[in-house]
Amino acid sequence: MFADVRNQRRLEQTLLFISLLVLSLIWLTPFATVVMSAIRSQGDLLSRGVFSWPKAIAWKNFSDAWNTGDFSIYFRNSLLLIFLKVPLGIFIAALAAYPLAKMRFRFSGAIFIFFLAGLAVPVQVTLQPLLVMMKQLGIANSIFALIPPYVAFGLPFQIFVLRGFFRLIPSELLEAARLDGASEWTAFLRVMVPLSVPALATLCIIDVLNTWNEFLIALVLISAKESRTVPVGLLQFQGEYSSQYTLLMAGILISIIPVIVIFIFLQRYFVAGLTSGAVKG
Amino acid sequence: MTVSSLAEGRPAFARARRRRRIPVAWIPYLFLAPALIWYAAFLVYPMLQSLYISFFDWDGLSPTMTFVGLKNYVTIFVEDEIARLALWNNILWTLGALVLPTAIGLMLALALNRRVPGSTLFRTIFYSPAVLPLVAVGLIWAWVYNPNFGVVNTTLKSIGLRSWAAGWLSSYELALPATFVTFVWSHVGFPMIFYLAGLQAISKEYYEAATIDGANAFQRFRHVTLPGLTETHVIVLSLAVINGFKVFDLVYTMTYGGPGRSTQVLGTWMYFQTFQYYHAGYGSALAWVIAAIVLVIAIPYIRRMSR
Repeated sequence: MFADVRNQRRLEQTLLFISLLVLSLIWLTPFATVVMSAIRSQGDLLSRGVFSWPKAIAWKNFSDAWNTGDFSIYFRNSLLLIFLKVPLGIFIAALAAYPLAKMRFRFSGAIFIFFLAGLAVPVQVTLQPLLVMMKQLGIANSIFALIPPYVAFGLPFQIFVLRGFFRLIPSELLEAARLDGASEWTAFLRVMVPLSVPALATLCIIDVLNTWNEFLIALVLISAKESRTVPVGLLQFQGEYSSQYTLLMAGILISIIPVIVIFIFLQRYFVAGLTSGAVKG
Repeated sequence: MTVSSLAEGRPAFARARRRRRIPVAWIPYLFLAPALIWYAAFLVYPMLQSLYISFFDWDGLSPTMTFVGLKNYVTIFVEDEIARLALWNNILWTLGALVLPTAIGLMLALALNRRVPGSTLFRTIFYSPAVLPLVAVGLIWAWVYNPNFGVVNTTLKSIGLRSWAAGWLSSYELALPATFVTFVWSHVGFPMIFYLAGLQAISKEYYEAATIDGANAFQRFRHVTLPGLTETHVIVLSLAVINGFKVFDLVYTMTYGGPGRSTQVLGTWMYFQTFQYYHAGYGSALAWVIAAIVLVIAIPYIRRMSR
């Protein structure tokens, strides 16, 4: 009887594995067709189709796409944006999350909900005024115009996650620091921040990916080529080379490879950050 | 032992504490100030500004704004057929987003929560589209749907279904569903991850108890798994609705709202009105329709998160 149960379980597992395998192959097909198109010549692609082995690997597509598509400009802009935006945003969020997690004061609940409501605010409802603001500040068309809205829209989620994480840190540690004469600022900087490195690092990874991927705000606030970020630049590239399929596919791969690499190596932290606080343990 | 009970025993110390306590009252606000000011200046203020603009006839550039009251909102619901089509497309999209990625995500989570070889790799594969820029996702799928060289039509032709081959993104009837398939591909990861986390939070003891009571697999799913996932459902379903009404990037890159106006959603129509046709007042009204719907729907979600 036990053998029966075991056999049935093994059969179930095999069926499950096969269905997952088939579905994951379907899931990977779009990636596969992009790769298979990006590594061959246009003539080879048009004559033999996406699902044939390329006659020769055309690595040149990547350097051509990189150069003709001005990806070096877009990469530089996106990287600069990430280096400026991510630490600034997460630092401000951590500052705000500290009292929300560890101090008692009037309106703390209301302030927290005020921030949380930002999770539901669609970007669209701020675009036109933001454009006017950035023009008045004289930074429309530069990547500096993106930092204020990117930081603002990142705050709700970051404050939510950090508040949840800070609450798990034993208050006794803070009390001890305060009794030793530490100011709140020192307690924050010397106790909370060092103990929160895992959460801060996770939020950094999520924020790097979000900043790299953001499209609509960058589309509206930036029109000059020199200031475009990777997604806006990629769309521009598509507009100019839409019929040069192999070049276009190489361009797509260039713009997603950094994201894929970051995700594959750091996915554990990424996933932990997304679900932290969202699901009760 | 808390500080206050300690202080009661030592009057001198208590006095010293009290003197140091005075500034404590405003310290929390000092920590909150940067975030509050930044958030108010670059999210809340533009949002309210947009509400103000929505009551005007304005091109977004000239110094003159003509007050028109609620006319822009009336236009959306009474005159502008494309706005109504966009709203309808949003509703269809959101209903689809509530069912498809959620159901597939739940099934994947149930499968991957069991001991399956390669489950980590499977999880990575199903989740990875969700981390890509949606512009890239849109372009990848435009290639998949390419009428001549795309994998969909190539496959259909090679298995003898030549008549099924179509211009997926250039057809009035097919463009929106085709774009939505892309959305499913890229968004299955979110519910899957949330459900996996939810499943792992359900205590094994419940399953053991149910098994001892003679519950079969379906009964265990019905009476242990589903109730255990209630919290997760709230999160997953509200996020589906919120994202369903915010949709922009995919439609913009894959169909540009076309063919004709057939795939316009509120997000793209707002963009076209404001930044292409210079109807900033009307565009702001459209943006506020999106915001109002999303904010109302998000209330249970926000309440759940604030607990």
